[in-house]
Amino acid sequence: MSTAQTIGVDALPAVLAGVGVYKVFGPKPHRAMEMAAEGISREEILRTTGNTVAVCDVSFEVARGETFVVMGLSGSGKSTLVRCIARLLDVTRGQVTLNGDDLMAMSEKELRDVRRRNMSMVFQHFGLFPHRTVIDNVAYGLEIQGLARDIRRERAREILDVVGLGGWGDHYPQQLSGGMQQRVGLGRALAIEPEVLFFDEPFSALDPLIRRDMQNELLRLQAETQRTIVFITHDFDEAIKLGDRIAIMKDGAFDQVGTALELLANPATPYVREFTEDVSRTKVLRAGNVMKPHEGETVGPTVGADRSIDAILSVLLETTDEIGVVDPSGSLVGVIDRGAVISLLEPGS
Amino acid sequence: MTTVAPTAGLPLALSGLRRYWRWVLLVVGFVILQAVFSSADEFPAWFDDTFKDPIDRAGNWMQAHRRTHVVFTDFFTPLSDAVRWALDSVESALLWVPWFVLPASVFLVVARSHGWRPALIPAMAMLYPGLIGLWEETVDTLALMTIAVFISVAVGVPLGVWGALRPRAEKTMRPALDAMQTVPAPVYFLPMLMLFGIGRVPATFATVIYALPPVVRLTTLGIREVPSHAVEASEMFGATPRQTMTKVQLPMALPTIMTGVSQTIMMALGIVVLATMLGAGGLGQEIMDTLSQRRTGRGFAVGLAVVAVAIVLDRISRAVVVTDRSKLPSTRTTLIAVSALVVLVIVGFVTGTTEFPDVWDVKTFDPVDNGVDWTRDNLRWLTRWFNDLVVAEFYVPVRDLLIDTIAWPVLVFVVGWMSWMIGGRKLAVFTTAMMLATGAIGMWSPSLDTLTQVVAAVALSVAIALPVGIWAGRNPRVEAALGPVLDALQTIPSLVYIIPAVIFFTVGVVPGIIASVLYAIVPGIRITALAIREVPEASIEASQVFGATPRQTMFGVRVPLAAPTIMAGINQVIMMVLAMVIISGLVGGGALGFATVSAVKRSEFGNGAEVAFAIVAIAMILDRTTQAIAERLRPPAAEQ
Repeated sequence: MSTAQTIGVDALPAVLAGVGVYKVFGPKPHRAMEMAAEGISREEILRTTGNTVAVCDVSFEVARGETFVVMGLSGSGKSTLVRCIARLLDVTRGQVTLNGDDLMAMSEKELRDVRRRNMSMVFQHFGLFPHRTVIDNVAYGLEIQGLARDIRRERAREILDVVGLGGWGDHYPQQLSGGMQQRVGLGRALAIEPEVLFFDEPFSALDPLIRRDMQNELLRLQAETQRTIVFITHDFDEAIKLGDRIAIMKDGAFDQVGTALELLANPATPYVREFTEDVSRTKVLRAGNVMKPHEGETVGPTVGADRSIDAILSVLLETTDEIGVVDPSGSLVGVIDRGAVISLLEPGS
Repeated sequence: MTTVAPTAGLPLALSGLRRYWRWVLLVVGFVILQAVFSSADEFPAWFDDTFKDPIDRAGNWMQAHRRTHVVFTDFFTPLSDAVRWALDSVESALLWVPWFVLPASVFLVVARSHGWRPALIPAMAMLYPGLIGLWEETVDTLALMTIAVFISVAVGVPLGVWGALRPRAEKTMRPALDAMQTVPAPVYFLPMLMLFGIGRVPATFATVIYALPPVVRLTTLGIREVPSHAVEASEMFGATPRQTMTKVQLPMALPTIMTGVSQTIMMALGIVVLATMLGAGGLGQEIMDTLSQRRTGRGFAVGLAVVAVAIVLDRISRAVVVTDRSKLPSTRTTLIAVSALVVLVIVGFVTGTTEFPDVWDVKTFDPVDNGVDWTRDNLRWLTRWFNDLVVAEFYVPVRDLLIDTIAWPVLVFVVGWMSWMIGGRKLAVFTTAMMLATGAIGMWSPSLDTLTQVVAAVALSVAIALPVGIWAGRNPRVEAALGPVLDALQTIPSLVYIIPAVIFFTVGVVPGIIASVLYAIVPGIRITALAIREVPEASIEASQVFGATPRQTMFGVRVPLAAPTIMAGINQVIMMVLAMVIISGLVGGGALGFATVSAVKRSEFGNGAEVAFAIVAIAMILDRTTQAIAERLRPPAAEQ
């Protein structure tokens, strides 16, 4: 897709940005990139040159405090993309900048410094260290920063409380359940207070119920401290739940980038439509999207403007009156009546 | 070919020819060459002196200049001095402390990480040699093993790390490591003799060479097996490569590395006894003596002492490396334990009981020896019959056939051609070149003699190991029952096998063959059982669903699917048999084994090098051809 289409909300300053990122595995990457630019399919390129074009001309901007979700099925290149952004892999062509500094141009040492202070990652298979206790896992980044043992343990203990693992510090990760292990992974990433957090399918190895817990946990943490997040997933529901903006990735490129609502309202390609078709609107639409603007006194029950319709259905069912919609500060911004919601539930609306 | 009608005689013959032309050519070539060369003499040793003389000269030069030349004064002599100093220090320290401190320390060190119950066995193992009056010899061997294992780990772990980080380094190291493991140990002795003279230092280095490969290999493997996401996680926190290595990769690879260290200890144990040939002394010398005195009971007791040393070292090495710190006792307990040891030392010196008391010394083992003598005398009819059967019906005819009847060019052709059929051109060129070179340096006849013994022992081993292995693989109970027996057979140093063999079968080729079989059936049985057990259950069920009888399932599904692994087991059997046949040169096996022993004993460098080359040639030919067969048996891998 064209670069212009993928540039995001430009009102906010971009913390992290990528321009024309390519990642090609194989012997003749330049030839492969030329062919990809000519629009030749990935299969064809692999067959004729032996190159795999994993990421193909991807550009993006992530604003401070934003959760940017990259959603794609297996083989779409999403995992390679996040590794390119974090420079665990070197890109073949293109630029990735953090606060305007080109990550690709950095020396090993500069890159290490950036990683020690500014970025962190949560992995699909947790990537925990089985030979270290939970607390020493969480303290690992601080240890690499060179902090003294007492200080980093103190800090790690605080973080354990934050991720709900207070008291588990002296266990080994493999003694914990999957969900708790990922809390350790999350705590380890949060401990260094990074500017940017990468999540590489962090919850896909978990049971559905635990996965929902972890998603809510992440939302709670985001509500407390707004972090800049790049989140990789293959689960569209997860993308909608967590993402401020979502990029749908296919064959190494972004098909469409936008808010959940935008994707739902105007799917750019048949591929995007396939995902949005089965999604219930009540999950995506928030109270703020369907309310009639209204100011004044609150009457009867109220709900937060950022709650999804799904979440406020029970309130709607309890009363026949209009219900109030309030902004985070608690003042009334609008009202919703049942009719508006019922019309949403009808197919084809 | 499918269109050819069955009645068409000529095309059918043609198609048969096209299919079997390799075999036809083999037979035709054999007949023609045999007719042409039937009167050929023994293999002409064209290059006997060209090869031997320079090595003799080099060896003599080294002996003459050991005290003067800069290579020795500045490198080998200091190295040798350092190792000798380490050996002496460890040994005198171990002998200095009162004897009961050693088992006590072993107990405490192991108990610290593994609890007191598992610590009892190594503590008793440490005590045992003293009870049979071998305290000093055991401490001697323990010191040599400790230093050898220490050097192996100190050299092997960095090499393994290097191999894991640089695939190209691993690729260049692999053949060297393969060679170190395939080549029978006595082959190393000669170069060690040339460089370090006689004594415990060359014995230590020979042990290190032999014992090094497992720790290198398993370090590489362990580091490779560390999940990539753990390494990525470490990188993401900005760890330097060195930090990732020391904080993540090495600790996570530790269990695998420790398996390598255990294996290294076992290998060192096998060689340390043989190293007596280099003048190592200790328990090895004791075994050699009992061997020459034919004292079974004593030999068995000494053999157990060697095993005891291995157990002590193995448990200590595992206890020192702790993975789970939460299981360690408190600092207070540790302090109490250390002070208890100090008190023990003081008590020992005050009461003057530093040496192991003679009270329990059981030096004679007469009842065992008498019992064995009685059994031997009463079984003589059987052993003699077997001995004569093997010698007269197999060994002599086959050896004469290979050496005298079949002309040497015919043998080279047949082996070369068959290796081409098995493994292609590369293998054929290799085996042919190896055979020609062996012949050219005058090693043709002794090599074929040794080969005959190897074939006999391998045939016997496979005949026993395959059925037993298949039985064990299908019946877990059988395997569980065999387990301890196989474990024991595997831990006993190879030389110990020879003692009963010699006693029952007198001196000659047969005890060597018997000992080889005992030594080599263990991996044969183990790997066969493993191969049979690992056949996927789904394949077995599929066969049963089609109504196959157990027999059909066995030979139609299980055996073919297990064949490549079984072949790998046979490869190991062959390698172990070869090593043992060489060692049995000590007890009248003759051929290359005897030539090695006598070359080492008389410091005949040139002869030794020729024998060594011949052994290596046989080892590599057998190794590569059996591996090629295993490769052919393997079903094609899935395409990417």
